[in-house]
Amino acid sequence: MAHRTILKQQELKSKANWVRKQTLEMCVMAHSGHIASSFSCTDILVALYYGGILQFDPANPHWEKRDRFIMSKGHGGVALYPILADLGFFPKDELRNFCQPGGVLGVHPERSIPGIETVTGSLGHGLGIAAGLALSAKLDGREFMTVVMLGDGECYEGSVWEAAMFAGSHALNNLVAVIDRNGLCVTDFTENFLQLEPFEEKWRSFGWDVTNIDGHSFREVLATFKGFRSRTSTKPLMIIARTVKGKGVSFMEGQANWHTQIPASEQLEKARMELNRKAGLAGRC
Amino acid sequence: MRDAFLDELYNIACRDRRVILLSDDLGAPSLDKFRRDLHHQYFNVGIAEQGMVSLAAGLALGGKVVFAYGIAPFLTLRCLEQIKIGMCSMNLPVTILGVGAGYAYDNAGLTHHAVEDISIMNILSGMTILSPSDNVMVTAFAQIAYTSPGPKYIRFDREKFPLIYDENKSDFSAGLAVLREGRDITIVATGIMVHQALKVADELSKHAVDAGVIDLYRIKPLNEALLMEAVAKTRRVVTMEENFLSGGIGSIIASLLADRGETVRLRRFGVPDKYLSQGGGREELHRLSGLDVASVTENTLRWLGK
Repeated sequence: MAHRTILKQQELKSKANWVRKQTLEMCVMAHSGHIASSFSCTDILVALYYGGILQFDPANPHWEKRDRFIMSKGHGGVALYPILADLGFFPKDELRNFCQPGGVLGVHPERSIPGIETVTGSLGHGLGIAAGLALSAKLDGREFMTVVMLGDGECYEGSVWEAAMFAGSHALNNLVAVIDRNGLCVTDFTENFLQLEPFEEKWRSFGWDVTNIDGHSFREVLATFKGFRSRTSTKPLMIIARTVKGKGVSFMEGQANWHTQIPASEQLEKARMELNRKAGLAGRC
Repeated sequence: MRDAFLDELYNIACRDRRVILLSDDLGAPSLDKFRRDLHHQYFNVGIAEQGMVSLAAGLALGGKVVFAYGIAPFLTLRCLEQIKIGMCSMNLPVTILGVGAGYAYDNAGLTHHAVEDISIMNILSGMTILSPSDNVMVTAFAQIAYTSPGPKYIRFDREKFPLIYDENKSDFSAGLAVLREGRDITIVATGIMVHQALKVADELSKHAVDAGVIDLYRIKPLNEALLMEAVAKTRRVVTMEENFLSGGIGSIIASLLADRGETVRLRRFGVPDKYLSQGGGREELHRLSGLDVASVTENTLRWLGK
């Protein structure tokens, strides 16, 4: 496995801003994709891949010892593509083929994409698959960690709780789940129509350790994952990451109507301007 | 039938720790051995079929060869999307062992009847469907399921059937077997209906109709060439299945004939478009569905104009 530089916090901010810019332009080009949902989890993804958390080898996506990352919140997968391309899982040119004929990158990730472990897009599948991977590692004494990202609305799916119950009962402490708790579904805020709270208590009652962090704070994300491979707890770990849907573009942030919308004209220019300004503040990437 | 399979699977699992058996809290005498001797290869996941299939997919992604055991209608309908996404879309080595083919759970009522599973599993890309008719075959299916890649569904009956195949037979790669040659018509049946078909053929012979019988034990992928060769001899085909007519083996064969442009007369017997929750056991359900030997015989003769 090739040596990789671990980015410092300021560099992580720059990288995250670059990922948001790429995500925006890909979705605008294709007129497709979930920009706001991708923006809310971008910082966490950047921390995982550039902050020295996940172990992987872009030159060998099937490296046996790699950690497994599952984007159960498949509609946020567009944020993952620039990261995988940048790291060398596939050529950066492929980003231009997003949703194009002959391209492998679609709105939701599939296993044919180097660096993607399982197809997602329909919600509620990833945690169960992650639990199976974690169990397989336990059974064979393998040391890889399995990290899975879920959306908060995804947790309405009953299948999530079947997986949660199994993981808690079977002490899968090599399993880490991160919930992108942006508080918004497609049409409304979660707590307006079907309350997820008290959320932490639900996960604790299913046998998980739970921590609650600011999902846009690299310091908190990195600190939470520090030592995650050698936890003494026997429980799987749930990280509820408070995030903002549409983070990074002011008129998208926390707004209910940006799940599938693609900005155009003046709004697009405003989005670009804001991300470019942030790039200027964060330094070139 | 399921115990014969699980006994063979136990032998395989003893030799290969990649083999994992999951159950949604459905028991079996053969499972006691798994629980006792192979507790790292057996998991009761509780009454959670969606969770079970996703777990199976994850285990398979981690290098395991997985078998998921439960009652057929629950393990096919309830977790259909998990089967599609977790098993079929990624071509993973997971086998669903569905107990209770057709009306096998008879008096348990419509919730326990697996009369859609052939239709639904057949639609899934990459799925292999095995429908055993005796214990010799079912034992061989354990090896087939273990060694062949990709997702599989095996539809088990609950009754004890007389043996059809020689005890030493282990090659079931053809996908179908011609049990009886016939000059006049060919009956293609699956599962319990193979045994019914043999009785129907006996009854038809009393009316001077010489009926051949084919055991279609691998519904998907269909051995189209062999099936066409077998039905070409009579060009009059009767199908018998304990599954809805819509999408079952009769429909599958009708599609094949249409696609091939073949002029073959086809009469399908299966479950009509109705949920039946009638007491009286499986025989009564067969009678109500027109699947009993007398009804199939009479209707076949009428179809032949006799």
